Amino acid sequence: MNRAQLLFLLLLKAAWVRKDRSLTALLSITVVATMSTVALSVYSDVGSKLNREFRNFGANVIVTARQGTLDDGQFAAIKTMLGNRGEVVPVSYAIAEGPSGAPVVIAGADLQLLRGLNSWWSITPPAAQANNPQSGNLPSQAFLGARAAEILSPKGQDFQIRFGKKSLQVHPGAVFHSGSEDDSRIYLSREQFTELTSMAPNIAQLRIEGSPAEIEEQIQKLSAALPQADIKPVLLITAAQAAILGRTRSIVLAASAVVVVLIVLCMVATLTGSVLERRKDFAVMKALGASNSSVNMLFAGEAALISTIGALFGFVAGSAVAWWIGSANFGAGIRPRPGLLLPIVFGSIILALVAATAPLKVLRQIQPAGILRGE
Amino acid sequence: MFARLLFESFRRQVRRKAFAVLAITLGMSITTAMISVATDIGDKLNQELRTGSANLLVTPLADSLDVNIGGVDLKPAGERASIHESDLTKIKSIFFRHSILGYAPFLSDSKTFKIGDRAITADLIGTYFSQPVQLGSEIFVTGVRKVNGFWKIEGNWPADDIADALAGASLARKAGIHIGDRLQIGGKELNIAGILSTGSTEDNAIVAPLHFVQQVLDRPDAVHRVVVSALTKPEDAFARQNPATMSPATYERWSCSPYANSIADSISKVLPNVRVEQIRQVEQNQGNVLSRISGLMLLLTIASLLAAALAVSAVMAATIIERRQEVGLMKSLGAGNVAVVALFLTEAGILALGGGILGFAGGVVLAHRIGASVFGSSITVPPVVLAIVLFGALLITFAGSTGAIRKAMSFDPAVVLRGDA
Repeated sequence: MNRAQLLFLLLLKAAWVRKDRSLTALLSITVVATMSTVALSVYSDVGSKLNREFRNFGANVIVTARQGTLDDGQFAAIKTMLGNRGEVVPVSYAIAEGPSGAPVVIAGADLQLLRGLNSWWSITPPAAQANNPQSGNLPSQAFLGARAAEILSPKGQDFQIRFGKKSLQVHPGAVFHSGSEDDSRIYLSREQFTELTSMAPNIAQLRIEGSPAEIEEQIQKLSAALPQADIKPVLLITAAQAAILGRTRSIVLAASAVVVVLIVLCMVATLTGSVLERRKDFAVMKALGASNSSVNMLFAGEAALISTIGALFGFVAGSAVAWWIGSANFGAGIRPRPGLLLPIVFGSIILALVAATAPLKVLRQIQPAGILRGE
Repeated sequence: MFARLLFESFRRQVRRKAFAVLAITLGMSITTAMISVATDIGDKLNQELRTGSANLLVTPLADSLDVNIGGVDLKPAGERASIHESDLTKIKSIFFRHSILGYAPFLSDSKTFKIGDRAITADLIGTYFSQPVQLGSEIFVTGVRKVNGFWKIEGNWPADDIADALAGASLARKAGIHIGDRLQIGGKELNIAGILSTGSTEDNAIVAPLHFVQQVLDRPDAVHRVVVSALTKPEDAFARQNPATMSPATYERWSCSPYANSIADSISKVLPNVRVEQIRQVEQNQGNVLSRISGLMLLLTIASLLAAALAVSAVMAATIIERRQEVGLMKSLGAGNVAVVALFLTEAGILALGGGILGFAGGVVLAHRIGASVFGSSITVPPVVLAIVLFGALLITFAGSTGAIRKAMSFDPAVVLRGDA
């Protein structure tokens, strides 16, 4: 049996003979590794999870033609640049006359896309449709803002609007509350709007996914690609996103740092206490002629073995807890990050080595005979 | 005898007890800090967001439809119904007055301005920037600086009592308006103090103090709309119920909950003939995000508490396991199981209470530090957390000790004293 095999056997024997002590140390290191994995995984992923939530805020960038309208080529360029990380809804606005001759803003858009973009709208069927659900499938439905519906179609009935010499019969398909100027508007399908006004879209509402920095980068690219258009962020949305993201990441980082540091201290206290309780083992080894390096190696080897196993268990458990936190809170698990495995394992080993060997310096100052006498 | 044994145990095993107290203190510091952060983060972020953007819109009930395209208001001011500016202080008199962080009134019309020898037509918007308002014996400062924190200013904010104004960024670019320019309107002069970017209608307008605009438009005491920033509770199914169909008891409960709908209902009661609506893009979405963040912190807190509990239990178990020989000695000298268990659990209880109190103090300091570094204001630690921490400390130390005590007692004293166990 060579020295390495003998050392390994001694480590295993030491762990087996004092199973309770070994399990306590293993548990402490596992807890530290678990919490570190949870904290780092959550911190790394909280930004992307919250950015997903901001998709529901709707359009965060508005593209407006400086003069005239936006053409198909410009819309195609926007769509290409956004790829699958955003959405574009072309909208045209005009002022029509309601049944009483009073002006009303009408807009033309793909109504399903618009509804998806403005998911916070509280949509209800108009009064007439609530009593007769079958009427909800008419082909030329319009979305009416709550105030427009109240004035132009209080009972959910059809009504006529005029634009120049043309007129259109509007069938209210839904009434929405937005708490904005949209509540005074009538949204028609693009076909209806074009038939009435012959106008092409002059505004594009964009929902760009990503962090505030990524959104800003996309705005810069769009501005370069579309010099004839004004491209502006909706500051109400982007400012809120930046504030929430920044604060949340900071608070998660601060809370995680506190938890990890305190748990590490707790573990170091446990391991240090455990080593100090073994001062008789230390004294016996020294009395039998073991050198300081041999004793150090034995204690450090034991700590390294236990901490490696504990860190592996902790990484698996921490990844599982992080996944659970993501699933329970955001509806999508936080994926395990293999890149964290090495830092967790090495960090745990270093901590365990420090906790296991630092007390030996104290014990070396006492004569083995003194320790065995109970000093 | 029992007290002496207890006293000697603490006196002779200072190091061992110190490690146990340290572990409990650290564990309870985590508990205190995380519970405090998790319970306060929703309010802190809500407050932060409310200074960023208002969440309620007040408009006259009799108003005709808005005619606004691309930031240009095409409805003549004369056709618009208005709210009395002098009534607005009633917003701060409702049941939820402490939840109302601020409000900003707006009055606007399209006007022609002269800049040098050029004439430009744009919306003139009047509002409060940071206007002191008398509320009984108190002064309440309110305006867009308090409720529209997302407005970006290049230059300086205008004061409310002089003829300074902001030029919208798009208008300034198109019309060549710069900071320091003077605009003539209705025989009065406006000094451009800053350039305003909002990504909204104000980018194409001149924004001036409300009282100046009331004079120019000859609409004293009139405002067209008011935005209100109120601390609200995220909407749930109960919040969405129709108050008109509620029983009196349900209505009372609903109206005493700070939902956006119930605050809107309270405002419409003190300001008759107005419509109060949630700005849903702000209120609904931010409510959802805040719920997610609170949920995240709650789950992180649960994970941290479990970790702290395991760490403390491990320390307590290790401490008692190391004392098997003591148990063996006590039993061989005739001590009964009950006496040994009572001694160990009393020691654990004292350690738990000591560590719990120290941990609570440490946790309070940590929570304050986290609040100060992230939000610039300290996090409130509810007093009930002390009770939770002490109860938790006792529970965890007893849970960690009980198994180890039972195991230590299961060994034969002779075997333990020989060192074979």
